[in-house]
Amino acid sequence: MKKRILSIMAMGLILVPFLFATVSAKTLKIGSMSPLTGPYASDGTDIKNGVWTAIKVFEEAGGVPGYDKIEFFPQDTACDPRQAVAAANKLLNLGVVGVVGAYCSSSTIPSSEVLDEESIPMITPASTHQDVTDRGLEYMFRMCGRDDDQASAAAKFMKEALGAKTIFIVDDKTTYSQGLADGVEKACEKLGIKILGHEHVNQGDKDFSAILTMAKLKNADIFYMSLQGYSSAAMMTLQAKRLGLKSQIVTQDAVFQPKYMEVAKYASEGVYLTYGLTDPSTPEYKAFEERYVPKYGAIAAYATYAYDSATALLKAIKAAGSTEPAKIKAELMKLDYQGVAKHVKFRANGDSGSSYIAYKVVDDKFVPYWEPANGLIK
Amino acid sequence: MEYFIQQLINGITLGGMYALIALGYTMVYGVIQLINFAHGEFFAAGGYVGAIALAYFAGVGYMDSHPVICLTAAFMISMAYCAYLAIGVEKIAYKPLRKESRLAALLSALGMSIFLSNGMMLTQGVYDKVYPSELFQGRFDFGMVTLSYLQIMIVSLTACLLIGLNLLVFRTKIGMAMRATAQDKTMSALVAIGSNRIISLTFAIGAGLAAAAGIMYGLYYGSVRYDIGFVPGIKAFAAAVLGGIGNITGAMIGGLIIGMVEIFGAGYISSEYKDVFAFIILIAVLYFKPNGIMGENIDDTRV
Repeated sequence: MKKRILSIMAMGLILVPFLFATVSAKTLKIGSMSPLTGPYASDGTDIKNGVWTAIKVFEEAGGVPGYDKIEFFPQDTACDPRQAVAAANKLLNLGVVGVVGAYCSSSTIPSSEVLDEESIPMITPASTHQDVTDRGLEYMFRMCGRDDDQASAAAKFMKEALGAKTIFIVDDKTTYSQGLADGVEKACEKLGIKILGHEHVNQGDKDFSAILTMAKLKNADIFYMSLQGYSSAAMMTLQAKRLGLKSQIVTQDAVFQPKYMEVAKYASEGVYLTYGLTDPSTPEYKAFEERYVPKYGAIAAYATYAYDSATALLKAIKAAGSTEPAKIKAELMKLDYQGVAKHVKFRANGDSGSSYIAYKVVDDKFVPYWEPANGLIK
Repeated sequence: MEYFIQQLINGITLGGMYALIALGYTMVYGVIQLINFAHGEFFAAGGYVGAIALAYFAGVGYMDSHPVICLTAAFMISMAYCAYLAIGVEKIAYKPLRKESRLAALLSALGMSIFLSNGMMLTQGVYDKVYPSELFQGRFDFGMVTLSYLQIMIVSLTACLLIGLNLLVFRTKIGMAMRATAQDKTMSALVAIGSNRIISLTFAIGAGLAAAAGIMYGLYYGSVRYDIGFVPGIKAFAAAVLGGIGNITGAMIGGLIIGMVEIFGAGYISSEYKDVFAFIILIAVLYFKPNGIMGENIDDTRV
């Protein structure tokens, strides 16, 4: 027994120098939160890769003066509110100066309260629910668009471009997907599109045959899928086609993943979805593509937004010349540059504007199809 | 009426898959009274091996010329792989604990489940593995009712496997040895039945059936992922308990009932609570018949 205690103490002593070593090195700590396990692991990994790429690029361009290196702490939220809060606390303990994340709105909302209390800036690349920025948190920023804007853009698109008169809505009951589905329902009512049904499935369900049979019976013009991830959406699309559902399928930003077409294959052809406008012809996008694609494969939904979030954070820290939260925030608000996904310029509430357009799946690619201002894109 | 028939078809397809997985739980329980919680992972592994095999065949170009042969080969490879995997898992995680308390083996099973599922995540990645969903693309339309080729394929293959298993267990010497081991290990050892061999065989057969279900799942839903084993595993476990754990016929019936209840609950009442309905039925049946529908201990049918 005594021997064991001694050996444990010895081991503890050996570890002590390492503790001091990490404290003494001058490093800038950046955290990210996204689901790295569970059903949305692929989207979460894209976010991690996006942030990682941004840090690498930034370091190569000179890094942040006064710091030897930038250390990156990707945390797993598993799209679970409790785990997200735990991840936020862990990042606080690690002493990060800024966080990129999270993915699911249901994770971002509770974890941002934790970070905001300690005045740590948080930029979400992917959480589109209104409440993310509507709660008036001082250090909450958003790189992507908002669901209320997305819902009205989607309704307008279905009405004007598709001539829809009836709609059947399905969501999977997450803060994001249900919030968006409710928004679409309201927007459709306003435009005079009749709601033939609004059903819910559970997160992670694989078998949708029952609900699709119901949708087939109702035979609405539009079958609107509001699901948290591309994977469920691909399964639902495939099963819908196999069951002979005639309604036009319209879906949303979480499905903007090349993997969607890989899984749903022929069934995905002709599906519409709303997603922020990204101009792939800008030099910024091309540079990112050259960096990202060889290492991680095709650019997916939120990799670009994650890259922009991390870059914005690093730029602000560099400009502030300190890690004081108030100064970082002031510099974040001053940012005005062309990013990879969009033009980065934050507004007073932390949003950076929405630019939702409709994409159509043509030959396994998302092709811009319609924009709210000018109608069809030629 | 058409709506009802369509939901019935959906329910049978889903129920058949649950039944195939449930058999593994029930057979293993019959022989060594262990709930093998790692069984759902055999199902997932089967789906993965199938996907890898089919991708390989597609890569060398056989998939276009001989799709049926390729599919059969994928089933064979995957079932054989999972059978060996199950035998290995049994040898490593359960056999050393056979003399210990049942709780120890149960915990070992839970650990094995997490180990296998994370192992799949680490080796195969977090992304979905895609199945060639364009196989069996056609369908029959009878008015509103749609019956896809894939559903016909899945249901008939499931039926064949279930009948084959019944024949194996009730009509062959091996089956007799399995039933004997289930009834009394010591006694069967006295008449020269090697219980270790029989236990390995039981694991192998159960995992083989789960692997077949995994490939069907992949074909039906278009893709597999490392975490697919969990939910179907729990449902199939419920099905096995519902039918009377340890009872083969019970597991088949239980699987079909759980599948049907899930689909009809979703189709007629609310798809939000479809999982709840399956478990309500389970609780209700167990309340009135604690041994499940077919009963746990009908000596002849237990394996």
